Amino acid sequence: MGDSGIIQPWEAWVRSTWLHQWVHSDLWIWPICESLHFIGLSFLFGSVALFDLRVLGVAKAIPVMALHRLIPFGIAGFVVNLLTGIVFFSGYPEQYAYNAAFRVKLVLLVLAGLNAALFYTAIFRDVRTLPAGADAPFKAKLITGISLGAWIGVLICGRLLTFFRPPFFH
Amino acid sequence: MDSFLPWLEGTALSLYVRESESIAFGFPGILVLHTLGMGFLAGISFAIDLRILGFARGVSLSALQKFLPLFAVALVVNVVSGILLLIGYPTKALTNPVFYVKLTLIACGLFLLQRIRREAFAPGLTFEPFPKNLRRIAIASIICWMGAITAGRFLAYTYIFLLYGHATRF
Repeated sequence: MGDSGIIQPWEAWVRSTWLHQWVHSDLWIWPICESLHFIGLSFLFGSVALFDLRVLGVAKAIPVMALHRLIPFGIAGFVVNLLTGIVFFSGYPEQYAYNAAFRVKLVLLVLAGLNAALFYTAIFRDVRTLPAGADAPFKAKLITGISLGAWIGVLICGRLLTFFRPPFFH
Repeated sequence: MDSFLPWLEGTALSLYVRESESIAFGFPGILVLHTLGMGFLAGISFAIDLRILGFARGVSLSALQKFLPLFAVALVVNVVSGILLLIGYPTKALTNPVFYVKLTLIACGLFLLQRIRREAFAPGLTFEPFPKNLRRIAIASIICWMGAITAGRFLAYTYIFLLYGHATRF
């Protein structure tokens, strides 16, 4: 990896994109995108994390499928965060690529994604019929527990990014 | 104020918040807690507001109320972590008008949630669609929390003094 002081070809490419130019074209673009990123994560937590908590046994009075109808808002929040995340990366690519917190965040994002795929292919049919007050099967609790843990981990790594910046600046 | 701020910045706790090298128990860890709490505070509020606006029918509001203890925990976490951040950099926050905007928006968000609890969470109340005034409150609540998040993020870009007696940022 290019942890030396040398600009790697891919970094030069990122810096040549219009997105990179745009990020640096106005001082307020960065704070506005950060605010959107934080609002997006709140929507993710307000739907996905609450759904996970319901399957885990909190607020059992809510039928699982009813709460699942909030998930599109979590997906919308995730899309906002993916887009603003791409904006951040294009602005300072080396700050992220050579950042331990960012790398762990990516691993946790992949874990959350694979875990969600597993949930919908293997678990969802056991959960969708759960009425108000019903306890979810252990397998479902395990998967939603991993989901909740992974998203909290993503948030922690994201917030810690700035404290793991590489010492060099290209 | 002119003797209070330098005194506060000289206390052991203020110095600890600013200068502790610990990631988990120093400034970064406090920020992580503040962000995680924000995700649950704004997220639970968004979920309740969206429910009132007609999404996720089938989730009774009295069932959603089961998430209010988690909201309360997140509120305590954020008041405590917020006070610690304030003790670390009192001049930075208290001399920035945006800080008072943030506090006002949070107060409005909490007041609106309280009104929703009083008017919509009565057990057995199943009006659907919700009356217009409640829907207006829900929209105002979403705006307040989005505004509070944005103001919070903008604190890092709008402060005038970092510490008492230090040169301005600009």
